[in-house]
Amino acid sequence: MRCTFEAIREDTPGARWQALFQLRWPAYQQWFLRDGYRARPSYLAGRRALRQHMPELAELYQQLCELAGGGDLEARFLSQWCPPSYITGCSQAIWLDPTGQEGPVLARNYDYAPGLLEGSWLSTRWLGRQVLVMSDCLWGALDGINEDGLAVSLSFGGRTAVGEGFGIPLVLRYLLEAASNTAEAIAILQRLPVHMTYNISLLDKHSHWATVFVAPDRPAEVVHRPAVANHQHGVEWQAHARATLSEEREWMLNQGVRKAEHADDVVRTLLRPPLFQTAYGRGYGTLYTAAYRPHTLMAELLWPDMRWPQYCLDVQEGVLNIRFDANHAS
Amino acid sequence: MISSLAAGWLRYCRQWLHSWRQASTQLQTSTTLPPAAQGEHSMQKVSNISDLRLLFHRNERPIYFISATNFNLLGIDQWVNRFKYINYIDCFDGRHPNVFVPPQLPHEEFQSIEDINNYLLQHKDVVDYVERAGGRPVAVFLMFDAETERLCQELGIEVWFPSASLRERCDNKMETVRIGNKAGVPSVPNALSKVDSYAHLRQIADAHGLGEQLVVQTAFGDSGHTTFFISSETDFDRHAEEIIQDPEVKIMKRINCRGATLEACATRSGTLVGPLLTEVVGEAELTPYRGGWCGNEIFPGAFSEEVRAKARDMAYRFGNQLMAEGYRGYFDLDFLIDKDSDEVYLGELNPRICGASPMTNHAAFAYADVPLFLFHLLEFSGIEFELDVEELNARWANPAFIDSWSQLVLKHTANNVDIITHAPATGIYRMADDGSVSYHRFDYKRQDIESENEAFFLRISGPGDYRYEGADLGILITRGRSMSDDFALNARARNWISGIKKYYAAKPIMAVHDESLPAPGAFKIL
Repeated sequence: MRCTFEAIREDTPGARWQALFQLRWPAYQQWFLRDGYRARPSYLAGRRALRQHMPELAELYQQLCELAGGGDLEARFLSQWCPPSYITGCSQAIWLDPTGQEGPVLARNYDYAPGLLEGSWLSTRWLGRQVLVMSDCLWGALDGINEDGLAVSLSFGGRTAVGEGFGIPLVLRYLLEAASNTAEAIAILQRLPVHMTYNISLLDKHSHWATVFVAPDRPAEVVHRPAVANHQHGVEWQAHARATLSEEREWMLNQGVRKAEHADDVVRTLLRPPLFQTAYGRGYGTLYTAAYRPHTLMAELLWPDMRWPQYCLDVQEGVLNIRFDANHAS
Repeated sequence: MISSLAAGWLRYCRQWLHSWRQASTQLQTSTTLPPAAQGEHSMQKVSNISDLRLLFHRNERPIYFISATNFNLLGIDQWVNRFKYINYIDCFDGRHPNVFVPPQLPHEEFQSIEDINNYLLQHKDVVDYVERAGGRPVAVFLMFDAETERLCQELGIEVWFPSASLRERCDNKMETVRIGNKAGVPSVPNALSKVDSYAHLRQIADAHGLGEQLVVQTAFGDSGHTTFFISSETDFDRHAEEIIQDPEVKIMKRINCRGATLEACATRSGTLVGPLLTEVVGEAELTPYRGGWCGNEIFPGAFSEEVRAKARDMAYRFGNQLMAEGYRGYFDLDFLIDKDSDEVYLGELNPRICGASPMTNHAAFAYADVPLFLFHLLEFSGIEFELDVEELNARWANPAFIDSWSQLVLKHTANNVDIITHAPATGIYRMADDGSVSYHRFDYKRQDIESENEAFFLRISGPGDYRYEGADLGILITRGRSMSDDFALNARARNWISGIKKYYAAKPIMAVHDESLPAPGAFKIL
């Protein structure tokens, strides 16, 4: 299985984003309509939710809808209001440099099915802030960093609860567009409704960090856990945790973070089993490891034998093909 | 095996009728801006018909009629600048300049016209259409509910009708009787009461001297669907469930009557009263429902001068009472005219525009002055006005202000379900000397009919739609009469009906399961 990763720069929504939309929309449409048209809220409900909860994004949303062709269904998808349920794997770690020489790092593994990865490393200045994200749901984010040095990433929280709220990728996008630091991001997460359970890791350039457990059916909870996998306080969905080795990964990552002397030590932990997963066929393969360094605004994608660095304020476009098999990615 | 799509459509049709019968709505208030907020209008006050015509000729405020089709307010766009129709069904195949029909999306099964309107108001193409037109939009509806009001508020659309909750209160048949009583407008001798059993019904009837033959009506419903004729316990048992479950029903003496309908508009200057229309009811060529409404006629000699005067006076008083109750604007009253005594009784109130509105708004008086609906728009516009309603009513009462028209609603009357493969287009048709009918030209203005040998057909069901017993096929509007003096369809009308229906072709659906068949009257547009 192969995935193509592409770094794309487009400061304002335009032809590049439109091309991405056209390329990915048929597959997203299939996913969006998985439960039938009727299962998804109306255009007006999605727009209303965006205007109420993420007003800063409302105009951008309309621009993207236009670029997407202006249709009702496309607009409903882009609002990410109550999308179909989805889960991912993922492990996240925050490491604070005790010596003060390197600066902190937010590192994560993104574990999912290769066929479902967008692979677009999108650099934008949509609302005035330079933002670099690994794109999902076409304008959402799996992880990313902004020019103020706020880095964010997500992992599935291991619960089946589904409620009225936004798909998490759009929540991450919003954090990076609207917040400058961890405190502001926490405040946003405490008020935003999300449609499933996720663990959000936050780190800013002042080394302020937090893990926020969000869920559709309980208030957001701020905890300080340097390593998280796919459960919150304890495993609630045993089958998922077993299949994705959630507890083992969290334990190993905790050990790795605790013992690390350099940021690369944490990254190396993420690139080794059990954190680096190879169950690609079942949707739990590690597709990339990302490392964000808010002090220097550096971001990096890594695989066992490959690394691709970028500087948030000057992203270099390029393409990288990665082949995945049961044993490794190269 | 019927496809799931077909089954879904048919289910939707069935649900639609169900809720049409229930006609239950919930509600809140609509708003009217004060005159000062009407920035687009330079006119300070409307004092006469010329002012009114000018006001709407120069109207810059977008006014939308949002409904399944544009039938009920056909032609109002020719009187009101920036008046547009937002519809679910495109009767005109995209050729009407003021009709906007968004691409059809899969949706929840519609259970009422309110559902259709709420679907339309959430459709991105409709939202874009309204928002791109700008201005301070206004909407008028045939039916709406609290959700419609909420959606309109969200979109910044002002609803120019009394609130849905008030409309529902007035629509309740018991309440109609009470409002009539307050206004001195009598209903057929009746009692309003909860009924527990046949014995109880008899007891109430006897106490009020209503006789042996009774008519019982529940609070909401139309076209005879919730009207029960009861002369025996067997009759009662047939409808016992519907009657007993209601907290209050209307129990009437059964009279030998003829139906008539009249539209009026309650304004702060008084109630304007339109002409009295005959009703076409239960014609087998038009409808499968015995007692079901299927059209109207208007002509100068339809009723005696005495009956017309009584009905007009009753409508005037009833409208003024509605104003006192807080309701204002357009409404429709059904009358029951006792054939034996020529007595005129209040029948039902439709606190809205309705299926008779196209007749009222195209009658001769409308062209001499303005259509009645423009007074409704004026009432809600926030513009100051002072009209000589008495003078207008007197003029419209003159037979010279009434010309002769009829409209017939064509339903599929056979008890089968199939898929329409060909349907007659909306437009003007001609009848040859031998009674055969042929398409002549596209048109969307019914007044373009030149003679009694031409008719305007508004197509409702088109290719790809399901045709089932009770489905609305379309509406046929002709100059002249469709009925004979003893109120049976005349030969010309029969030729028109069969001539238009001949243009429908359909293919069968294989092995439809019984449970997928639509309920009687399932697809009701009007």
